Amino acid sequence: MERTVSDRVFFHRLKINTRTRVMVFLCLAAVYLLGIFFWGLFMPERAFEVNYTDKLLPPGAGHLFGTDFMGRDMLLRSVKGLSVSMVIAFLAAGVGSVIALAAGVAAAVLGGRVDGFVNWCVDLCMGIPHLVLLILISFMLGRGERGVTAAVALTHWPELTRVVRSEVLGVRSSQYVLAAYKMGKSRLSVAWNHVIPHVLPVYVTGVILLFPHAIMHEASITFLGFGLPADKPAIGVILSESMKYIASGNWWLALFPGIMLLTAIMLFDAIGENLKKLWNPDNGNE
Amino acid sequence: MKGMIRSALCCMLALTLTACGGAGGAGGNGKKGDEDGLICYVGHGFWDSSLDPVKGGFSYGWSFIHNALLKVQPDSSYAGDLAESYTISDDALTYTFTLKKGITFQDGSEFTAEDVVFTYETVKANQGENEKVDLSRMERIEAVDDRTVRITLSEPYSPFLDMTAQLGIVPSDGYDSEAFNERPVGTGAWKVLQYDAGQQLIVEANEDYFDGAPHIKKVTFVDMDNEAAFSNARSGQLDIVMVQPEYAREQIEGMHIEKLETMDVRNISLPCRPSMTIKAPDGKSVQVGNDVTADPAVREALNIGIDRKQIIENAFNGVGVPAYGFTDNLEWGNAPEVRDCQREEAAKLLENAGWKDADGDGIRKKGELSCSFEIYTPSDEQDRYQLAEALAEDARGLGIQIDVKQTTWDEITEASYRSGVMWGFGQFNPMVIHQLFSSETFLTAQYSNTPGYENSQVDALINEAVAAPDHDGAVKKWKEAQEIYFRDIPYLYLVNIEHCYFVSDRVDISVSTQIPHPHGHGIPVICNMKDWTIK
Repeated sequence: MERTVSDRVFFHRLKINTRTRVMVFLCLAAVYLLGIFFWGLFMPERAFEVNYTDKLLPPGAGHLFGTDFMGRDMLLRSVKGLSVSMVIAFLAAGVGSVIALAAGVAAAVLGGRVDGFVNWCVDLCMGIPHLVLLILISFMLGRGERGVTAAVALTHWPELTRVVRSEVLGVRSSQYVLAAYKMGKSRLSVAWNHVIPHVLPVYVTGVILLFPHAIMHEASITFLGFGLPADKPAIGVILSESMKYIASGNWWLALFPGIMLLTAIMLFDAIGENLKKLWNPDNGNE
Repeated sequence: MKGMIRSALCCMLALTLTACGGAGGAGGNGKKGDEDGLICYVGHGFWDSSLDPVKGGFSYGWSFIHNALLKVQPDSSYAGDLAESYTISDDALTYTFTLKKGITFQDGSEFTAEDVVFTYETVKANQGENEKVDLSRMERIEAVDDRTVRITLSEPYSPFLDMTAQLGIVPSDGYDSEAFNERPVGTGAWKVLQYDAGQQLIVEANEDYFDGAPHIKKVTFVDMDNEAAFSNARSGQLDIVMVQPEYAREQIEGMHIEKLETMDVRNISLPCRPSMTIKAPDGKSVQVGNDVTADPAVREALNIGIDRKQIIENAFNGVGVPAYGFTDNLEWGNAPEVRDCQREEAAKLLENAGWKDADGDGIRKKGELSCSFEIYTPSDEQDRYQLAEALAEDARGLGIQIDVKQTTWDEITEASYRSGVMWGFGQFNPMVIHQLFSSETFLTAQYSNTPGYENSQVDALINEAVAAPDHDGAVKKWKEAQEIYFRDIPYLYLVNIEHCYFVSDRVDISVSTQIPHPHGHGIPVICNMKDWTIK
């Protein structure tokens, strides 16, 4: 982030350094995202039930985001939808990160054939266009919640595996690791005590940066009709439904859910980038 | 990592832009037709398949590129088209058609009895390619002379007349199975200029048409999705646009809306058997039945307790008429008189059958069993989903909970034996009663009698109707069969839909000569295109 000199002086006078600012931002972003997540998670379907007297109302005091063609409140539907997407993203990021950590560390520490095999898998996955791979897996598993979760979970590990592997390769040849080997430590113990702690910051940042992708991809394949069924209030479903009403001028059905999705994605991304800054000793205290 | 967010943003952009792209795309280059031409969108009816009548192209009962022996009239009775007159023998096995004179095909060759024989024999020999015209009961067809055709059936089959109205005649000399897929030659009012499957069909007037040349000289049909068609209509690029009922209240400058009568009904199958696993004829075990809808009280309560008018208002903007059975614009249609909205009577029925709301959550229960079931709707038809949701909303007032699912036809077929499905039916052929209510078709044919309805009286009446020696006798039996199955309500009829079109103010689509539209998602509007005029 670029900052002018006067900016810097201002923050300096207030004794607010980058670390503090980042922490404040992180807290706000986390509150917003977790808020939506839990609000949606515990929202009963009744909250946005059909109400035909309020069909297609534009945004206003009663309904901040307006209502859809069945009189359902769009704000509540969008929140629910985004939270459904987040659940899938958490699952996907969880599975993806475990695969990435295990494969990345194994490739770097064991080397040789294992390394070759992991690299081959990574290349294989990255060689196929991501969206096509997602659609294939989701379709094969019969679509629906199971299909889309598996597809998103199984396709997001390659990039992170690469990052982890190259980090580990760097550590592997450093003095203290070599010394540990000389002292007769096993490979597993070296990996656990020396390699993983070193790789962790990069890894955690990578995991957080996985979220926006996972959410985006879930919404995309649902939008295209290969993901969640149309009777679920998923954000992709909401967006694809809204396309039918844009021609007759009901813009709010697409705009607000779209903005909400975009905001969530950008916040996740910003959290990842800021964490990176926080963990970097060079600019953490600027 | 920067690249990741950029690609995420690109994804987002693609998401939001897809709609705009779709809207501007297909057919966007067209302007409204000129002085004697039109550009129309009438749904996706004929886009994927062959135009060849031998393979089932345009088997609707009205003529377009081809003519059949008979045709459907606005009052849904049959009249001669290529045939001048016909007689049926007393044993109902021999049909004799006398053909009209002086008719020529679009390629100039003369139409004779030989062409009829050729067409019928070709269809029978390739029955597998034509699922719309069933000639399996035709034993032989012969040309008595140039003007007379005699068809002999192997057993009496009263719906055979429907077949003769559905099968367009092709020339015996010029027929080419390959070429006729895209450039068929017939006797009809319209000649194909160009056909690109999935894109467009261009037809021009046949000036030598035996029933008088059309007023309009050239018509282009384009294929696109409904929303794109609507926005193209707005920008003034189309003359006729089929729209879903949800657009019926929109205003388009220079166009007016026409709501046309159909015989198309939306009904929901309600499984009549208790939940169980049985062996299908193909050996697989199938889960059939539903403990909630198997209770006649639940089906009856729904039939009399819901408010169809309100449901239509909510789901379809009020476009459509309440339906209780097959429509009376069909000769054989016989819907009972039902009074809607009898909430108290419905409640009483449910109470007496043991469905009570003891815990006050609004949903009735009988013991542990909650009074709820699922209705499946196809995900490519939003209007059926909306109709099912509107019904669910209404049924909640009776203490019945309906969960609406939206999925693919494959999954619907699988679930159809144990859940409700939102169906659409509308055709001239009364064999639909056999399809939906005969116990023979349960588990043996797709989309047929999914409730597992079984009533020996109905079965007997259907068989009598099929074997009836004369048309009127058959109609009587069909009507009786309907009276009986309506007491059991294996299907809940909701609405007789209306087809909505935006029509350019300069065009008159001759509403008085329109036939009631069969199930066809909009395409039947062209049934009388010959009579259309440009002001």
